[in-house]
Amino acid sequence: MSQAINNNTDTPNRGVSVVARHKKTAGKFEKKILLWMALPAFLIYAFLYLYPALSNLLYATQKWDGITTPEFTGFRNMQFLLTQDDLFRKALGNNLRFMFVVVILQTGFSLLFATFLLKNSKTNIVLRIIYFFPTILSSVSVGIIWTFLYDPNYGSINAVIKAAGLGEYAPLWLGDEKLSLYSIALTQVWFHTGQMIVIYVAGLQQIPKELYEAAEMDGASRWQQFKGVTWPMALPTTAVVVAYTTIQTFRAFDLIFAMTGGGPLYSSEILVTLIYNTAFVSQKFGYASAQSIVLVVLVLFITWLQRRTLRLKDGAK
Amino acid sequence: MKTKGHKAFASLRAGVVATVAAALVITPLAVANSAEVPTFGKKCTTEGVSTGQKTTSLVCKESSSGKLTWQRVRLGATYASPVAAITPPKGSIEFHHWRSEDKAVFENIISQYEARYPGTKVSQVIMDSTNYQNLELSKAQVNKKAALVTVFRGQQFADFLKADMMVDLSNERFVKQNVIQSALQPGTVNGRVFAVPYQSLFNNPLYNVEMFEKNGWSVPKTWSQTLAFCKTVKAKGIIPFAWPAATKGNAGQIMNAFMMNSAGSLAEIEKHVSDVQSGKELITDPWFKGIADKYKQMNDAGCFPDNVVAYNDTAAPADFAAGKAAVYPTGTFGMSTVTKLNPSMSGKMGIFGLITTDSKPTFEGITNNTFMLTVNPKANRTDQKIARSFMSFLTTAPIAQQYAVGTSQHVSIINVDYSANKDLLNTSVIMGKKLVLAPRFLFTNGAVATPVELALMAIGSGKDVSSTLSDAAKQIKTALGV
Repeated sequence: MSQAINNNTDTPNRGVSVVARHKKTAGKFEKKILLWMALPAFLIYAFLYLYPALSNLLYATQKWDGITTPEFTGFRNMQFLLTQDDLFRKALGNNLRFMFVVVILQTGFSLLFATFLLKNSKTNIVLRIIYFFPTILSSVSVGIIWTFLYDPNYGSINAVIKAAGLGEYAPLWLGDEKLSLYSIALTQVWFHTGQMIVIYVAGLQQIPKELYEAAEMDGASRWQQFKGVTWPMALPTTAVVVAYTTIQTFRAFDLIFAMTGGGPLYSSEILVTLIYNTAFVSQKFGYASAQSIVLVVLVLFITWLQRRTLRLKDGAK
Repeated sequence: MKTKGHKAFASLRAGVVATVAAALVITPLAVANSAEVPTFGKKCTTEGVSTGQKTTSLVCKESSSGKLTWQRVRLGATYASPVAAITPPKGSIEFHHWRSEDKAVFENIISQYEARYPGTKVSQVIMDSTNYQNLELSKAQVNKKAALVTVFRGQQFADFLKADMMVDLSNERFVKQNVIQSALQPGTVNGRVFAVPYQSLFNNPLYNVEMFEKNGWSVPKTWSQTLAFCKTVKAKGIIPFAWPAATKGNAGQIMNAFMMNSAGSLAEIEKHVSDVQSGKELITDPWFKGIADKYKQMNDAGCFPDNVVAYNDTAAPADFAAGKAAVYPTGTFGMSTVTKLNPSMSGKMGIFGLITTDSKPTFEGITNNTFMLTVNPKANRTDQKIARSFMSFLTTAPIAQQYAVGTSQHVSIINVDYSANKDLLNTSVIMGKKLVLAPRFLFTNGAVATPVELALMAIGSGKDVSSTLSDAAKQIKTALGV
């Protein structure tokens, strides 16, 4: 191609500059086209995400019941929220506990199961599908099913405990203030572990077999192989799983709403259920906006912290 | 607008108390013998039972000879003779409500309507009651197809009014002539009808008549009798009150009973509620603590099932329907659920007012309107016309009767006969009592109502009264400070 161009031009240098100019023009044109092609997506994003997010910042500075004209109150909502709102602090504490339990159990179980289901054998594929199955259910259905299972008088879990002669120890899963949050956490783990297994299986399958072969030749036990090869090599996947699970725990609205509604006595209230109640039950939309800003900042911070921790473990700076 | 609407609404409450009770039925009623077939002039056994609101309806009354006989008494009145349904334009609308248990009956009614007016369609959009109360206003404001919506009496009605989200229906002939006039009051503000209370609820405990008769129990009429009743029933291995403490909506139904005789008059109760909502009075103060103490007394007397804190509104009607519980303390709206669970319970349910005092009660029972029909002003004119037309269709006696009999709900429409539904007959006894509009709904600020109700649910489930109220009082103080 360049030969043909050279033949048709007075000097080789001039030919090169024409090509370069052509390329430059084509590049600009392509850029413009690409920008135009991105426009619909950007408009949808701006309308559905950016505008509400910016509106939220505005609402957070207002006292508004959702019906009458909003009244500007500056940082009063935020100040009140951070200094005087015990219920918000309780919900925040609940949310962090909920997150901690779910992240630990969900990540642990999914990694454990994934290591057993790594090979693409027929049995493993069937088992992966079975474990993944709860993920496709609606969270309200899952909540209702587990509410029945946890029922202290008629639920099958306590029926088993009673049948084992341990009736006096049968817990009030959702009725006990100290237990309700953890009972829902277990349901959340059951609900989403299958999803994380799939992510882990994909990640673990990328680990080169040579590393295991080398470890085996060095006489490493299975646990040593896991510790020395699987875990460090799975850290990027773990970062994804942990970040995703964390965000899930902050969004567990429907499960909690269906199972306890945040009760008894706010013992299972987390930030998203509190925000909903503040906005739609108490009709304090401005205050709920302030709460949601704190939630977003918190999720960003925790996710950043987790990624940083896992990256440091990975040896990256 | 806010202040005006609230004040106007609040001022109606006192008048509404007596009038709504009398709106549907005038005479005192009692539980019917299910084997009794009402026949004019024939002997009846239970005073006050009424067969409906038709000119031919019968009421069991004492005759001049001192015997109880079926007599004709016209119950309720309208401005003039009822009118037929309005012919709608062609088009389609959404009918938003929260009673999923009425879905099939409404489907049937809608199919009759659509067959009568080809080209006009009505589709139901149903949400659960909690979400409906929280979200419907927002939804109706942006959904122009939601031309016909229902509103709850209380906070939701006040919010719709404040948001100017109800069309004035005062001049509609079907409102004036098909609906019993005194029943309109909960949806009326300053003489203007914004919503039509379609059904009338009686939020009082249902009891298993057959079980009571078999065991020789009588309906408790005082607080001491209630506590003694609980002990007697529990000793038999039966749940005295299947109270769904884990389901906020229905757990709160008995709160009405605890509130209705908590002060000497409705005005005093209103004042207490108003003061709690403004922060002048605390829920740790004697008035509310007195209410909370009674929840605790019921728990201590064994009135509620084991593990009541996790006992929800799935288990409660199931236990009542299965004969494991003597009383289901919610209201007449629960009857259809019970008969669906166990059809043989049909005709075996009675109703009584839960009296929480040993002295003469101010009120004997609760009534309420949670299903008030209104037209969405955001809908376009054609759709508003369809909504009015469908409302008028619903208020015609044959259709209202289908609804009443099919859903076991009393209605506020003239010329309806309840004879075809034994449960409606049996529970009509409550209508003649001195009723008060559910006082729980006097709490119109959700930020106050929620901690109040949650505290009572916890106390009824066995939590300490003082510490629970103290925590809830703090939350209210915080909520009022935002």
